[in-house]
Amino acid sequence: MFLYAWLILILPLLGFVALSWVGNRLPEKLAGLAGCATVGASFLVTLICAGKMIGLEPADRLNHVEILYTWISSGSFNLDLAILVDPLSIFMFLIVTGVGFLIHVYSISYMKGDPEFSRFFAYLNLFIFSMLLLVAAADFFFLIVGWALVGLASYLLIGFWRDKTSAVLAARKAFIMNVIGDVGMVIAAFVIFDNFGTLNFVDVFSAAPDQFRLNDDTILLITLLLLVGAFAKSAQLPLHTWLPDAMEGPTPVSALIHAATMVTAGVYLVARCHVLYELAPYTMFLIAGIGALTAIFAGSMALVQYDIKRVIAYSTMSQLGFMFLAVGVGAFSIGMFHLMTHAFFKALLFLAAGSVIHGLNGEQDIRKMGGLRKVMPLTHITFLVGALALAGFPLTSGFFSKEAIIMSSFYSPLGNFVFWGIAVIAAGMTGFYIFRVYFYTFYGSSRSPEVHSHESPLVMLGPLLALAGLALVGGVLGPWTHEFLAPVFGVESPHYHDVMLETVTVVIGLGGILIAALIYLTSSDRLEFAKQAFAPLYDLLLNKYYVDEIYDFLIVKPTKAIGVFLEEKGEKYGIDYAVDEVGRQVRYVSSLVSLWQSGKVRTYALNMMAGLVVVLLFVVFL
Amino acid sequence: MGNQFLLIISATIFCIGSVGFLIRRNPLIMFMCIELMLNAVNLLLVGYSGFLNSLDGQIFALMIMAVAAAEVVVGLAIILTIFRTRHELDVDHMNVLKG
Repeated sequence: MFLYAWLILILPLLGFVALSWVGNRLPEKLAGLAGCATVGASFLVTLICAGKMIGLEPADRLNHVEILYTWISSGSFNLDLAILVDPLSIFMFLIVTGVGFLIHVYSISYMKGDPEFSRFFAYLNLFIFSMLLLVAAADFFFLIVGWALVGLASYLLIGFWRDKTSAVLAARKAFIMNVIGDVGMVIAAFVIFDNFGTLNFVDVFSAAPDQFRLNDDTILLITLLLLVGAFAKSAQLPLHTWLPDAMEGPTPVSALIHAATMVTAGVYLVARCHVLYELAPYTMFLIAGIGALTAIFAGSMALVQYDIKRVIAYSTMSQLGFMFLAVGVGAFSIGMFHLMTHAFFKALLFLAAGSVIHGLNGEQDIRKMGGLRKVMPLTHITFLVGALALAGFPLTSGFFSKEAIIMSSFYSPLGNFVFWGIAVIAAGMTGFYIFRVYFYTFYGSSRSPEVHSHESPLVMLGPLLALAGLALVGGVLGPWTHEFLAPVFGVESPHYHDVMLETVTVVIGLGGILIAALIYLTSSDRLEFAKQAFAPLYDLLLNKYYVDEIYDFLIVKPTKAIGVFLEEKGEKYGIDYAVDEVGRQVRYVSSLVSLWQSGKVRTYALNMMAGLVVVLLFVVFL
Repeated sequence: MGNQFLLIISATIFCIGSVGFLIRRNPLIMFMCIELMLNAVNLLLVGYSGFLNSLDGQIFALMIMAVAAAEVVVGLAIILTIFRTRHELDVDHMNVLKG
């Protein structure tokens, strides 16, 4: 019924293959066009699918498994090359291809003149394909394949400028952190197969409620192992350290992978496996707790960073924390709604930041920016829209989704006052840190007058304006999202309204903006005063809670020490000695045996004759 | 007497050939000794083919002659090349392939 949904996946894959094959022989314009066209076409097919899906009765929207062919069939194990088309996957397709297309267009201008222009687009297309495979997979096997492929694409794109040491190190860090998650996922798949005898989503999810009681050991194990993967991919505590470093990649990459799509895969995973998670309330509580902690922890680190992209990266972690909080308290469709609005405004913020960086010839330190609102009016407007949406300013898209999360963190059966409190404080921080960046960047006077900043070209501004529109009015999609996703999650997430709590949330969010304005807009005395008053805290935040250092001390250093020890002792006296000794013994034995080979023809002849005589005697007399 | 005589002749020629092969150092002579051995066998085959009223032995003898001719072609070529490069022919000196 949705067999043509395969086109959504195949088109970007074709783009990747074509660009990596002949890309470096194509002129820049053609390579960029090919990269964008495949994703754009994929978006159009998605729209067709979505239209058809909306035309169906809600009950018929589920479990459309489109099988291309059976890949492996071995005993009871059966693996089809199949995708699952249902409202959830269509929803993710729309975000991935829609936002992805805009970012592709933006990249044409952003990466202009890069000597490896086509390689960049090839990787972007590979990423889009992998992400689509991840969200389209109809079983845990292809989910893990997509999961690993997006990790690969992320690695390739973070380290795109491969002659930059910091970028290569960041790529490696991201890859290692993600592989830790992949291991969890793979073990989870083993446990699932062991218990259900299949990896198909449809079969597993229909069997699970009958097979397990609430909080069974096995279901807890499965959900926790899946969670390792989700947390690593979505940069939640304690596997978050790679995301800020991932900003070493080109800015469109940060926007596409490390804000809008890939990092939300963890939220998608929990939503996709909601049947399993609903059987494991303990795990749900953990998700909500970690999500709330990450929201406030990352938000606090964003307060003091000076790199414009890092602030937005920490903000991404914080917002992902909100999403996990939402799915953790059982408000799955609200979490997905925030995923969508976040994709809009966070991609917008990153692209606007990229436009600023582009205009300032690569400057990323907000202390060296300033007064850009006159020079880059359109970038200024779009950034402001993104910042307002992120801060949850009333009637922007972020307001609706964040408000819904904060309400359900209090009112839903799994919510409580602590979650609500943390979420509200994190929301207040959001307003502060993003407007701190905003005032630093666009107000005051230019702090580096030697750079002649300029507004970005239209190819970059187009996607910015489109995303700004979505970020501004995306909130109206809220009711549609809940209705569209309702068949997947069984019931529609209820909407809680409480005028007092909502007012508190809004006031605290606006308070953050106001404090930022007071500190950064008026005079620098207050800034210095605040820095000194909270000096220890300030240092702690600036150094990101020393998590990198703790990991370095706890894991990296001991591992290195073991490695050095094994190299010096184990390898030299163990492996090397054993290998050398085997070689020596073989050589000795062969030196004995080779004495037979005298090189004298007559000796050989004599031996042959003697052998013949022996054989003859044997035949005749025995 | 018949086939006993044949056996004795054949065995004698074969032994002459094999002893010659073992004690001589000139490869040409060694080749001749090989021919002696082969032809001792041929003699036996042809003789028995007569006794047993069967043509198998004679056909086999023809095969052996053909193989022997081929072998001599290759062998003589090798010997010729060795003589050209080393200006001597002594199998005891051809021992560069010893282990």
